[in-house]
Amino acid sequence: MDRLLVVRCPGLLVEDEGGAGLRTFAEVLAAVEAYCPWVTPVRPGICSLPARGPARYFGGEEALVDLVHEAASGVAPAEVGIADGLFAAVLAARRGVVVPAGRTPAFLAPLPVAILGQPDLAELLDRLGVRTLGEFAALPDADILGRFGADGAHGHRVAGGRSGELADLRQPRISRLLGTDGAPDAPVVAEPGFWGGVSDADARAARCLVATQELLGPDGVVTAHLQGGRSPAERSRLVTWTTGGWPGGGGGARPVPEPGAPWPGRIPPPAPAVVHPDPVRADLADTRGESVRVSARGLLTTTPDRLSVEGGPWEPLSGWAGPWPADERWWSRSRRRAARLQAVTARSAHLLLAERGRWWVEATYD
Amino acid sequence: MFVSAPGRRLSRERDPAALAALAALAERTRPVSASRTRLLPVVPALADLLPDGALRRGSTLTVGGPGDDGALSMALALVAAASASGSWCALVGHPGLGAVAASDLGVDLGRLALLPRPGPAWAEATAAVLEGVDLVVLCPPFPPRRDMARRLVARARERRAVLVVVPGRAGWPEPADLQLRIDDATWVGTDGGEGHLRRRRMTVTATGRRSAARPTRRALWLPDADGTASTAGHAGTRG
Repeated sequence: MDRLLVVRCPGLLVEDEGGAGLRTFAEVLAAVEAYCPWVTPVRPGICSLPARGPARYFGGEEALVDLVHEAASGVAPAEVGIADGLFAAVLAARRGVVVPAGRTPAFLAPLPVAILGQPDLAELLDRLGVRTLGEFAALPDADILGRFGADGAHGHRVAGGRSGELADLRQPRISRLLGTDGAPDAPVVAEPGFWGGVSDADARAARCLVATQELLGPDGVVTAHLQGGRSPAERSRLVTWTTGGWPGGGGGARPVPEPGAPWPGRIPPPAPAVVHPDPVRADLADTRGESVRVSARGLLTTTPDRLSVEGGPWEPLSGWAGPWPADERWWSRSRRRAARLQAVTARSAHLLLAERGRWWVEATYD
Repeated sequence: MFVSAPGRRLSRERDPAALAALAALAERTRPVSASRTRLLPVVPALADLLPDGALRRGSTLTVGGPGDDGALSMALALVAAASASGSWCALVGHPGLGAVAASDLGVDLGRLALLPRPGPAWAEATAAVLEGVDLVVLCPPFPPRRDMARRLVARARERRAVLVVVPGRAGWPEPADLQLRIDDATWVGTDGGEGHLRRRRMTVTATGRRSAARPTRRALWLPDADGTASTAGHAGTRG
């Protein structure tokens, strides 16, 4: 399970009407991001980041907690903690502790069952004399699903430290609330449900897409959502199309503006129209036929002159640009040294990725 | 030809059974009558290329060139304005859409259904989405048989949808109402390794049937520096 650091700002947990709280929270995010670019807003007032890499980089988990605490507290009162999985990490932040790796079950054990946020489950367990997460976790798996249902079974896994997240821990809208520039300037508008007040066109589209799914299978019809990231592939994800999942009547699966994260190494726009779902092998050579490589310092070893895609014929380059460093986890010891390059031939323009001495066509500017 | 709102023309004293029958008819034909307008908007830079200055419902277009370069961007640019004004779109048969580029071109991703890998059922799937989606961009994953292509063209006409075909290597055996051909696509901005791709200039030739039989040629930036389509000056140095 992921080692997560959580920042919890007690004063910013409730969404206020004017959005001042969210604006402050966006400043907290920016302050923390100055140290670690992988910060994810979880819900108003709470964000997380993977702790392992940055901890190594900054000299240990305690040092990282101090650093982040100082950065966040400069903006708003904040609590910081580290544990395995988001659920435990939020609780660790509330207590301001670092739960050592592997000790999360023991950390959770004495806490009351009610902390899972499932009152019905807590009441039922209470009647059975089960009051703490430890006691709940000790119940055998076999009895759980039948007795407590799917939510109960998941809570059981979380209680035992075997699963990191409760379903309702995250608020998916948070990224959107924070807006593209990290500051919410537009008021948040409640969106009507899909079947509430949809137009004819939306209902008609929904009907035909359902019919298409019957033909191709549910995963045969998807929609694209935008999200933060450096590479074109990271910046969107595909989601199975569902009528219910589209708030706001059809226009619902709106691209979620990404939080205002700095994405060093992001390729400048325009974005490529094609992102290859499976990267295509490529070879890049200079005028003498020597392979172009990326040095340890992220520089090209020689000047690119020609490109071959998937073992095809060599094509002369009419232009190229880059490289852009693509070390996605720059603090990680096992970091992959990667770089991106734009390569233009008479027929097409590609975004190439160099990794471990190999070139790939990651995207094409079709 | 179209049935408008049933209550409007019928007085209340009419036979309730006839009213009900008409209402049922209206309901059946609703998808047609809901498409009140004959044309769907396009971005200004593309309007010059289209006989009506817009996309005619029920028509089929093909987009291609000697290379594949720019065809998908052009197809997305064609549907962008309609998408942004509330029309539903579908992209059939393209497994690797760059969603950021589509969004930058103006396509509303919330109203864009993707059928990335329809497999052998691609024609059937295309026919199915044409039932309820205003604009369908089709990249045939396999060379279409003529009868298949003809059926899809007929379906688009019947459902008053716009079918934009990007034939790619699979080809398209049926004449289209309008063919857009992309030539001389050239990227600008790499500056000998110092810059980055900024925009692409291309020449687009539209050849239609009947009234639009005379080819129209325009120089475009697609994408331009903002990721959208815009008109390019003839000198090629503007913008």
